[in-house]
Amino acid sequence: MAEDINRDPLAGAGALWEALLALLPRTKEELKLDLSEKVERSVVMLLQEATELFYGGRRNECLQTSEAVLDYSWEKLNTGPWQDVDKDWRRVYAFGCLLKAACLCEASEDATTVAAALKVCDMGLLMGAAILGDILIKVAAILQTHLLSRKRPAQGPTQEQPSTKKARNEHVSIPDMKSERTVPRLHCPSLQYFRKHFLVPERPVILEGVADHWPCMKKWSLEYIQEVAGCRTVPVEVGSRYTDEEWSQTLMTVNEFISKYIVDEPRDVGYLAQHQLFDQIPELKQDISIPDYCCLGDGEEDEITINAWFGPQGTVSPLHQDPQQNLLVQVIGRKYIRLYSPQESEALYPHDTHLLHNTSQVGVRGTQCDMADSPPPHPVSGDQVGDLCFPQVDVEHPDLEKFPQFAEAPFLSCILSPGEVLFIPVKYWHYVRALDLSFSVSFWWS
Amino acid sequence: APSRCPARAAPSPLRATPGLCSALSAPAGGGRLELAGAAGGAAGGCRDAWASEALLVLLRAGPGPEPGAELQAWAPGSALRGEPLWVHTVEAEAEGDDGPGGKPQAGPLPLLPCARAYVSPRPPFYRPLAPGLRARRLELGAEHALLLDEAGQVFSWGGGRHGQLGHGTLEAELEPRPLEALQGLPMAEVAAGGWHSVSVSETGDVYIWGWNESGQLALPTRSLAEDGKTVAGEAAGLHEGGPDVKSTAGGEDGAPTPFIAVQPFPALLDLPRGSEAVKASCGSRHTAVVTRTGELYTWGWGKYGQLGHKDTSSWDRPCRVEYFVERQLQVRAVSCGPWNTYAYAVEQEKS
Repeated sequence: MAEDINRDPLAGAGALWEALLALLPRTKEELKLDLSEKVERSVVMLLQEATELFYGGRRNECLQTSEAVLDYSWEKLNTGPWQDVDKDWRRVYAFGCLLKAACLCEASEDATTVAAALKVCDMGLLMGAAILGDILIKVAAILQTHLLSRKRPAQGPTQEQPSTKKARNEHVSIPDMKSERTVPRLHCPSLQYFRKHFLVPERPVILEGVADHWPCMKKWSLEYIQEVAGCRTVPVEVGSRYTDEEWSQTLMTVNEFISKYIVDEPRDVGYLAQHQLFDQIPELKQDISIPDYCCLGDGEEDEITINAWFGPQGTVSPLHQDPQQNLLVQVIGRKYIRLYSPQESEALYPHDTHLLHNTSQVGVRGTQCDMADSPPPHPVSGDQVGDLCFPQVDVEHPDLEKFPQFAEAPFLSCILSPGEVLFIPVKYWHYVRALDLSFSVSFWWS
Repeated sequence: APSRCPARAAPSPLRATPGLCSALSAPAGGGRLELAGAAGGAAGGCRDAWASEALLVLLRAGPGPEPGAELQAWAPGSALRGEPLWVHTVEAEAEGDDGPGGKPQAGPLPLLPCARAYVSPRPPFYRPLAPGLRARRLELGAEHALLLDEAGQVFSWGGGRHGQLGHGTLEAELEPRPLEALQGLPMAEVAAGGWHSVSVSETGDVYIWGWNESGQLALPTRSLAEDGKTVAGEAAGLHEGGPDVKSTAGGEDGAPTPFIAVQPFPALLDLPRGSEAVKASCGSRHTAVVTRTGELYTWGWGKYGQLGHKDTSSWDRPCRVEYFVERQLQVRAVSCGPWNTYAYAVEQEKS
C-alpha cells in the first residue's frame, strides 16, 4: 500500500518526531483530558495510564493501552444513533488516535509508518471530536508534509486531466431536456432579491457569477487533489445506489479512490460523497468561500456544514430531501439535477423505514444515518444488509406500473456546470447524476 | 489461550460480567460472591450477581425472615463495602410460579426471580415486563434486549440499527416483539452480544442475527477478507463448501456469496461435524457455543484472545477451541464478558 518505501537514513531522522513533540503538551500533567462523568472512571484511568506510558517513553505499552482505549470507545461510538453519542466518547477516541499516531512515529519515520499514522489521525478526525485545540489536524498536516517531501514528483496513479479523459466504458446519456421545465437562472442577485423571491418562497434557482471566480475553479484538477489530499483517508460509498444490496461504505486514501474508482476503468461506482473534507484538510478550504447567501439564515457561520462530493461520471444520488437549505457549488464537471417540490411528496412514494426516512422509493439514497447531517458513524463496516431489498426505481426510468403517480409529478431540472451554484430549498426533493468526472461542494445552512 | 482459575465450588450460574473490571462470580453453595480484576471485593448471602461498566447489581437474601430478596446496586469502586447506591425489595415468588420440580423458575439476572421485571445498566434500573410475558431468560446487548419465554418463544426490543432484533428491518422496537421467523421452533437458550443475537433450539440448532462486522455471525465479512482471513477471502470471494453457513436469504445457489455486514433475519448456522448446541453466550463482538458432546466453538472478534485459539485472529466461521480437546476436558458452560470468555469444563469421564 505504500507508494514510496524509500528509506532516507539521513534526512529528517527524528525531525518528524521533534515536530510532533512540539505540538504535544510538554508533560503528562499538562495534557488535560477534561472528560465528563459520562466516561466511566475505568476508561479515564486507562487513558491516563496511556499518557503516562507515553511520557515515560514506554512506547510499546502505550500502543497496547491506546489500542484498548480505541477499541472500547469505538464500541461506544457505535452504540445508539450517532447524534446521541456523547461527545466525550468521541474525544476519548481522538485521544487514542493521537497517542497511537505519535507512538507509531516514534518508532519509525519511513513512509509506510507515517502513512499508517496519518490514517490513524484521519480516523480520529472522522469519528473523534476536537481535542487539545484541534491537535489532530496539526499532526495530520505535519505527517502529510513529511510524506509529500519524500515522494518523487509525478509519481502515483496516472495523472489524467478531466478534459483529456478517454471515452469511458459506459456511454453517458445526456438527458433530453427539451420537454423539461428548467431551473431559473440569475446573475449575482442581491441578498434581498434572493431572499424575497427564492429563499422565503422556497424556490430553486441557479446563481451565476457568484462562485465562478473562486480559486478552486482554476486550481482543482485530479493532479492537484492528489497533491493536496492524496494520502488522506476518506469515506467512500461503493455501489450505484444506497439501496442496492451491494452498496457499502468503506475507507481509503484519496489516491486509492482516484486510482480505483476514477482512473483505472472501475468495475464499480465509487463516490466520495457527503464528506467534510475541508475540516479535515484546511488547505483545501482556502480554495473555496462561503456564499454570502448563507448569511441570510438564522444559524452562525460556524454551523454551516460544508461537504465535498467527488466522483467519476455516473454517480447517482437518488431522490432525497435534506433538513437544511443547500447551496450546491459545481467545480469540476457537470451534473444533471432534478428537483421535486415537497408538495409533491406523495407522488414520490417515500420509504417507511427509519434509516431511509428522507429518501423516496423512486430511486434512492438517503443522507447517511437518521437524517442527521453528521459524519458517517460506521465507515469501517458499511451497512450492507443481508436480507433486505428495497424497490428500486430510477428517476430517469421509473417503473410506472409500481409508481403510477410519479409520471404526473411536476419537477424542475438543470445541468449544473462548473462555476454555477444551485439553491436547493430545505426539504426539496433532489436527484443528482454526474455527467462527467465531477467535484461539487455543498453548503448546508439554516 | 485459556488459563485455569481454581473454582472452589461448581459455579452455578457461571457469570462473566462486562466492564473493564472483570468479575467472575460463582454464587452457589453458600452464596458467596467474589470479584476479580480491576474491582475487588466479596460478599456473602448472594443469590445472583450482574454487572455493567458503571453498576454492579447483587441479588441477596432479604434482610428479614420472610422469603423474597433484595436487589442492590453498587458502584464498581466500592468493593461492596459501605452503602449500596440503591436498593429494591423484590417480592417473593408467587405460588404457582414453581416449575415441575417445585423449584422457582428464577432466570438469572438481569431477569429478576419473579420474572416480572429486569435490571438495566442505565436508568431506570428497575424495568417491569408486561404481565403477559412469562419470561424464562433475558439478555441485554449494547442497545437491545432478548427475552425467552416459557414456551420457547424469543422476543426482542430496543435499538435495531444493526439488525440485532431479527424482525427483518433496521427499525427500533419499543416493546418486546416476538420473532416471527422463529415461531414454532421452541428455543432453549438466547444470548445477546453487543449488537448481535443468538438463540439455540431445543434440538440443538443455532440461529444467529445482527451485526457481522467481525464475523460474529459466522458469515463472511469484508473486514476479514481484506486481512485474508476469511474462507470467502481465501476462495477469492466464492463461498465454497466446508463449514457451511446457510442464510435464510442471500445469494442464490452457485452465485458467490456477498459479504454480509448486517443480517436482520435469523440465519441457521451449521456447526462443524453436525454438532448440536446446548449453550451459547456472546461477547461484544464474538460468539461462543457449547455442544452436547462437550466441545466449545468460538468465532467473531479475536483481537484480545477472547476466542481461545492461542492467537488474536478473528474468525467468521465456527472454530473449535482445541485446548479442551487436547486435555480431554468436557466443556459444560460458557459465559462471555465483552472481550473475554469463561468456560467451565470437567474432566472427561473415563469409561
